[in-house]
Amino acid sequence: MDPQSTIILGKAIGAGLAMIGAAGGGIGIGLAVGGAVQAMGRNPDHTPTIQTNMILGVAFAEAVAIYALVVSLIILFVLS
Amino acid sequence: MNSFWNGKRRFVALLMFLGGVFVALRVPPVIPFIQLPGEKFPAGYDIPFLDIRLTNTFVGSVIVWIVLLLFVVYVTRRRPKDGNEVPPGGFYNMFEMLFEGLMGFVGGIAGGRHFRLIFNMFMTIFLVVLLANWMELVPGVDTIGFIHPHVKEKYDVEKDEYKVVTTDGYEIYQGFLGISYVNGQCDWISPADEAAADEAALTAAAAAAKAVEMDLSQDAAYARYQAEHDDHGEGEATGDAHGDDTHAGEAVESDEAAAAYDEVLAARLAEKQARRDRSCYTGVAPAPWETGGDDHEDEGEHADEKHDILLHPDPRSEEAKHVPWVVLPFVRVPSTDLNMTLSIALIAFVMIQYIGFKALGIGYLTKFFNFSTLFKSPLGGIDVAVGLLELIGDFAKILSFSFRLLGNIFAGSILLFGMSFLVPILPWPFFILEFFVGVIQALVFALLTAIFMNLATVSHHHDDEHDHAEAH
Repeated sequence: MDPQSTIILGKAIGAGLAMIGAAGGGIGIGLAVGGAVQAMGRNPDHTPTIQTNMILGVAFAEAVAIYALVVSLIILFVLS
Repeated sequence: MNSFWNGKRRFVALLMFLGGVFVALRVPPVIPFIQLPGEKFPAGYDIPFLDIRLTNTFVGSVIVWIVLLLFVVYVTRRRPKDGNEVPPGGFYNMFEMLFEGLMGFVGGIAGGRHFRLIFNMFMTIFLVVLLANWMELVPGVDTIGFIHPHVKEKYDVEKDEYKVVTTDGYEIYQGFLGISYVNGQCDWISPADEAAADEAALTAAAAAAKAVEMDLSQDAAYARYQAEHDDHGEGEATGDAHGDDTHAGEAVESDEAAAAYDEVLAARLAEKQARRDRSCYTGVAPAPWETGGDDHEDEGEHADEKHDILLHPDPRSEEAKHVPWVVLPFVRVPSTDLNMTLSIALIAFVMIQYIGFKALGIGYLTKFFNFSTLFKSPLGGIDVAVGLLELIGDFAKILSFSFRLLGNIFAGSILLFGMSFLVPILPWPFFILEFFVGVIQALVFALLTAIFMNLATVSHHHDDEHDHAEAH
């Protein structure tokens, strides 16, 4: 196997492994939105407040997944 | 409007179709090429008066500024002067609706003494980021640009003569690529012509050297003649001088001839270098004198390989089919460049600290360096640790702000870009997705700024309970 292929192989595997971190973000977003929707269903009057907090929580949870994405993007396109 | 377009749309569609056919015939097929940093324009497109290479994300952000300024001018012009006037409809009304909705939204979060400043920051960041994000939906962004051959992974360098191969892909454009035949700035020189020009330069140099030598020998003969005729009064000393003169003359002869030879070759080299700097270099093997002489046999294979890879004659020719071509877009979404997201994050960070100091004075620092309880309570050390964590957390905000926006929008633009390479019609659902992602990311960025600014205005200990008491 020539070195170039090895590098590509390593980069692909590394980027794929890095994206495992996105699973946590997905779970977190699911929990947050699920809870928020339940709360909104029980208490529709408070929808705006709940929605704001939900978006915030989702943004924080998503940020973690985005870090994983950035790491894998750096592995793919910046590392050489 | 509608009546004007009735029955004419089909011609527009036909025209676009013919344009597509024309472009497909004129332009070589390109492969998808993804690069994280903003792509630098080829040399010759520098920012005037500054020694900075223009990047396509910078062009994108300039467009965002211009659009935003036009927007501001429009909105302030259209604003009714007094309350009684009937507000103008259309776009202005939409903006007013957006403005009032967001004002209420932020007022619910950060309504208070500093609402004005917080809302100004919120709205500014929201509009800038929103426009920047939505740029990826504009046709032509990320797709129209310079077309150049992509040889990054095809060419292994030992000498790095053309700076073709790099680790980060920057020198691709500085070296010889970015031939930009699209805008016709560069004149194509075929490798054969280039080689012929090299040969011509060599012969011209040899001729020049010979001419100088002949001149010099004539001069030397004249000098000798003069010296012989001046022989009268000076006797033996002139004899010695004569001998020295001839020696010196010979030395000068060869030196000057070599200088003339080098001069011609240097002119030719400078010409080639200039073309290389203009990124128009056609990528032939280096001239004989550049590789260091006549060892053609040794370098034959290597030179051939180089030749094959670096040779890009006409984009429409047979050879061009074996070269991967990529597009360097004129405009790229500015939020896909870390410089843009990081700078907005830094502005947000500075504003958070500013509003903290403005609201709490120097006491704002006790949020980070909280030594007041260190010796008073048994758990005072925890407060110190918490303050330091807050300090780190505040700096982490910069990273989280910038990477969140960058990651989302870069991933989105890769998605659109990649999908466009599969089937032309396919990406439209992704465009809708990206429309919403752009809004949400702009909202999240601005909203988090507003919330952190609001948090910074709230003092830690007493005001908390006070606020709660007030709220209830």
